[in-house]
Amino acid sequence: MFRLLKGFGITLNYFRKRKVTIQYPEEKVAMPERFRGIHRFFPDKCIVCDLCVKVCPTDVITLTGKKSEENPKKKIIDTYNIDFQGCILCDFCTEVCPTDAIVMTARFENLSSYNRSTHFKDMEWLTNNHAYGYYEESEAGPEAGSRGEVK
Amino acid sequence: MSINTEEMILNMGPQHPSTHGVFRLKLHVNGETITKAEPVMGYLHRGSEKLAEGFIYTQFIPYTDRLDYMNAMTNNYIYCAGVEKLLDWEIPERAEYLRIITMELNRIASHQLWWGTYLLDIGALSPFLYALRDRETVLDRLNEISGARMTFNYMRIGGVKWDAPDGWIEKVKESVKVLRENIAEYDELVTGNEIFQARTMNVGTLTKEQVINWGLSGPIARGSGVDIDIRKTEPYSIYDRFDFEVPVETKGDAYARYKVRIAELHQSLNIIEQACEQIPAEGDIIHKKGARIMMIKPPAAEAYTRAEASKGEIGVYVVSNGKTKPYRVKLRRPSFVNVSILQDMLVGESIQNVVAIFGSLDVVLGEVDA
Repeated sequence: MFRLLKGFGITLNYFRKRKVTIQYPEEKVAMPERFRGIHRFFPDKCIVCDLCVKVCPTDVITLTGKKSEENPKKKIIDTYNIDFQGCILCDFCTEVCPTDAIVMTARFENLSSYNRSTHFKDMEWLTNNHAYGYYEESEAGPEAGSRGEVK
Repeated sequence: MSINTEEMILNMGPQHPSTHGVFRLKLHVNGETITKAEPVMGYLHRGSEKLAEGFIYTQFIPYTDRLDYMNAMTNNYIYCAGVEKLLDWEIPERAEYLRIITMELNRIASHQLWWGTYLLDIGALSPFLYALRDRETVLDRLNEISGARMTFNYMRIGGVKWDAPDGWIEKVKESVKVLRENIAEYDELVTGNEIFQARTMNVGTLTKEQVINWGLSGPIARGSGVDIDIRKTEPYSIYDRFDFEVPVETKGDAYARYKVRIAELHQSLNIIEQACEQIPAEGDIIHKKGARIMMIKPPAAEAYTRAEASKGEIGVYVVSNGKTKPYRVKLRRPSFVNVSILQDMLVGESIQNVVAIFGSLDVVLGEVDA
């Protein structure tokens, strides 16, 4: 019986300690810089090397390129899609990307929806996915998405 | 005078909350006594072993996260270690230490979650809140280094993916101090509690012979007096450099398994503390060929490696035919082996003890079904 009361004593002690609860929808946890959230794409950086497509374990990335008008030897990106129904956020695409054209933001929410087709995200959506995470601050500078140093 | 009733079949699961997943137990009961128990598994089967055959070697690492998702770091490690054995690569010193620290942190998180949910299963709500609060400290550290809270995908063949961020080692040292205090609290809160003791002592007793015959491992084996811990008996990675003990209890009941796990929490903290002291300040984190993840091609050979996960002995058998994809990957999942004992140990027990026994085995269904 004594040990039972001792347990209650610990619980009572917590009335004068700091609260650890986070009121989630109102308050949000800041995810660390390396957090593997939902992708962001930089079309200017992409060199259409196809490595992200090859390394993707779930085959959710599809891309097409076209010849650049200014420099016919260079290829530029035409379409870039990620199907988030199958994406497991494993980060291999950003790991192999030689130019950091595809990066992962700290965004971890607001991807759910009522139908499947809306999980299919195109280049425009991925390019504009900067409302969340640490990319917001560094947006102004030329170093937008300075993920290279973390690697 | 005893009344003999008709034998009845009682289905527990597949959506029973105490199974923490989808697991079905078919119980044949006579009154309240169980006469036969059949575990039915496979509801979460994803064919991980078959999937591995279609992937290049590195691509399978995120899938090992999803086996025992409570202890993903050791799964990552054991798969990478298996391929490294084929390749015969030397792992950089700093990478080895980072592996040890993350693996032991993950072991703590796994045991803490077990502690919370086991007590929740047998009727105590508040320990769950304490356990998740402390697990959050551990997950924050792992999130900072690997970028995810549970499916880390942190290890790479030949090393680790990222070096520790600035000040991470200091943060870990701080967390160890906090955790040491909080885990001491667990003892006062629960271990001595009379109701808890009455619920778990002499419940689900496993003899040493049963453990050896069924091939059980991990805290279940150590709770029954089998002194086996692969970190000690067959040191992998750099575990031979650390000073730690293997807690062993001899009674073999649910309470003994509980005490082994609580003692392991303290030992893991000791290992982390020593690793944080010994870790070289800088150095490579991946083998020079390992960074090119598309180019890994082990010679045609086969290898088996094993390690001590939080649930028991985890092993990986990799067969290579000299191409970029593995020919065969066989996973020895500790939970799958451990859960098989249920059909033997539940016979003769009463229905109200099923949850207390099943919880004390600490199985994760992602690993049972793979």
